[in-house]
Amino acid sequence: MNMAAIEPRDWLKQLAQPSMTRQHIEWLDTLQNEARQQLSEQLIPHRKQELWRYSNVESLFKEHYQVDDGKNQAIKRLDIHGFFITELETHRVVLVNGVFSAEFSNMSDLPEGVQLVSLNDAIHKEPDLLSNLLKQSADLNRHVFSNLNTANLCDGLFLQIDENVQLNKPVEIINVSFSAEMQVAIHPRNICVLKQGASATIIDRYVSTGDSHYFNNNFTQITLDKNARLNHYRVQQESRNAHHLGSISVSQQASSEYRNSSFSLGGHWSRTELDIDFKNQYAQCHLQGLYIVGDEQVQDFHLNIRHDVPSCSSSENFKGILYGKGKAIFDGLIYVARDAQKTDAHLSNKNLMLSRQAEIDSKPQLEIYADDVKCSHGTTIGELEQQQIFYLRSRGIHEETAKKMLCLGFAGEVINDIEIDSLKQQLLKQVSRALRTASLNNDE
Amino acid sequence: MLSIKNLHVEIENKLILKGLNLDVKAGEVHAIMGPNGAGKSTLSHILSGREGYSVTEGDVLFENEDLLDFSIEERAHKGIFLAMQYPVELPGVNNMLFLKESLNAMRNARGEQPLDSIAFMKLVKEKAALVKLDEKLLKRDVNSGFSGGEKKRNEIMQMALLEPKLTILDETDSGLDIDALRIVAEGVNTLRNQDRAMIVVTHYQRLLEYIQPDFVHVLADGKIVKSGDKQLALELEEKGYSWLKQEDAA
Repeated sequence: MNMAAIEPRDWLKQLAQPSMTRQHIEWLDTLQNEARQQLSEQLIPHRKQELWRYSNVESLFKEHYQVDDGKNQAIKRLDIHGFFITELETHRVVLVNGVFSAEFSNMSDLPEGVQLVSLNDAIHKEPDLLSNLLKQSADLNRHVFSNLNTANLCDGLFLQIDENVQLNKPVEIINVSFSAEMQVAIHPRNICVLKQGASATIIDRYVSTGDSHYFNNNFTQITLDKNARLNHYRVQQESRNAHHLGSISVSQQASSEYRNSSFSLGGHWSRTELDIDFKNQYAQCHLQGLYIVGDEQVQDFHLNIRHDVPSCSSSENFKGILYGKGKAIFDGLIYVARDAQKTDAHLSNKNLMLSRQAEIDSKPQLEIYADDVKCSHGTTIGELEQQQIFYLRSRGIHEETAKKMLCLGFAGEVINDIEIDSLKQQLLKQVSRALRTASLNNDE
Repeated sequence: MLSIKNLHVEIENKLILKGLNLDVKAGEVHAIMGPNGAGKSTLSHILSGREGYSVTEGDVLFENEDLLDFSIEERAHKGIFLAMQYPVELPGVNNMLFLKESLNAMRNARGEQPLDSIAFMKLVKEKAALVKLDEKLLKRDVNSGFSGGEKKRNEIMQMALLEPKLTILDETDSGLDIDALRIVAEGVNTLRNQDRAMIVVTHYQRLLEYIQPDFVHVLADGKIVKSGDKQLALELEEKGYSWLKQEDAA
């Protein structure tokens, strides 16, 4: 497009205009106005800041987006069913450009003690609870994009599971994004609260139609009470024109367990931020991820694991495959406060470079103020081994297939951990496809 | 089947093979013996197509085609199999999946349909039994965490599965105890027939007690310096490689 670039501050302000369509709710208006106020004062992300150094956030500010007014009729013609995974049985929530779609969602047969509704519904039906939860997240004081999300907040998902209730069937959130006449900015907000001893699995999927051009600025806040367990899968396979910023903020009480497996395969510019906050002892989190990145792509992962209390454990295992001129950023911080004795924290980032022109900026960080802890971190950056390729070829396997097998082997550690078979098969297919695009024979 | 004439091979500008001649006919087993650094492994690698070597002179014909024209996988498709001295580990690559991919690549090259899963499983289990390879190892990643003996058995199992015309056993005996050696040799022997040929590259005579060669060649300083029958191997064992050098000098 030929429009002149505007200042980032104005870019943000334009996208944070109050909605004309939403009916007024006083506490929400106040919250959103506060967010807008912060937006006009907060530091603008810039390459000179450590958190944004390699991300090229400037490219995002050059895009021209409009707030989606929700009136777009093209939604009706979308083939949402094409995004369903066969044999995957779930409580399905479909968000189309961030707005809940009753037509495509299927939330029947929920067990007692499970509340799964659109965020908009929850805001109207349980204003006290929701205003509390949303205010909590406002206090997290994140960057401008979180405030942008709040300023635009209108829909998403609300999941609450009562004490000791086990939700066996996974909750699947299909985030379908698309652009028709205009490039849009989308700001879904998901809130998950698992009460004491509750457990659930969430499959969070980000997909788009064709080569849609949009900015998906999603924000997920998760609260795990004592002994609660959440297994969270997150799959981003969006269009090559998409900008994606996913912020996940997890607050963990004693002995709770959070597992996250993140797969970032699509998009033009994709950033995933995982913030884990241990609030009480013996909680644990296990995060793993896989990113595949090629020409005209940026994949960015930021982990911020805060051990403020003793005896919690965390592990992070992220792997990347880079080809062409792909660029990836991995920034993993483990912070261990002075009181957080007996912390057990391990972080690993491994990268496979299929091309000399690809770039990885890997920054594992341990910031430790306690003295009785077990912590480690490590990064590797390597290429496919010629000896391994030779071995496979000497058994009659074509060079390209051989390389693909080795890449899949590298990625396998993360994929094989998926406990849901149909999802695992789907991801194997997606990863194979992404590797096919990697044109493995052309590595210069 | 295989005819090597006046082969000269360089690696990083250093001449390793200096005019090697060798003729192998179907049904024959040839042992290549020689001291370290004589060029035994270079010979194995040049036949299988490993990169990093350059042929400066001479020819290698396999079934009357110029073998050096073919890629690594094409050589495999034509029926050449190298049982490696140091089989590499392939973390994350499932052994069964690998074997299936390999067998079907061979079948595809021959214009045959891929085997279905059931037929494939049956075949692999049969071949694994032949070399007493624990079936559990089929489910693991290729060679990952395998013992030395298990790796070599996995090699011979692949050979049994792929049924090559020409097999090169590159120091298959290295790192094997006597029991493993016997099992591996038995596996090899069951595959001997009048259509297949084998080149057994070894440093010691020990392996040849189990795999009886039709011919024994001594490779020293990049050339075959002496050829004979299996008696030659015994003689070498007794007198050592220095014996040849003295004889040369005489």
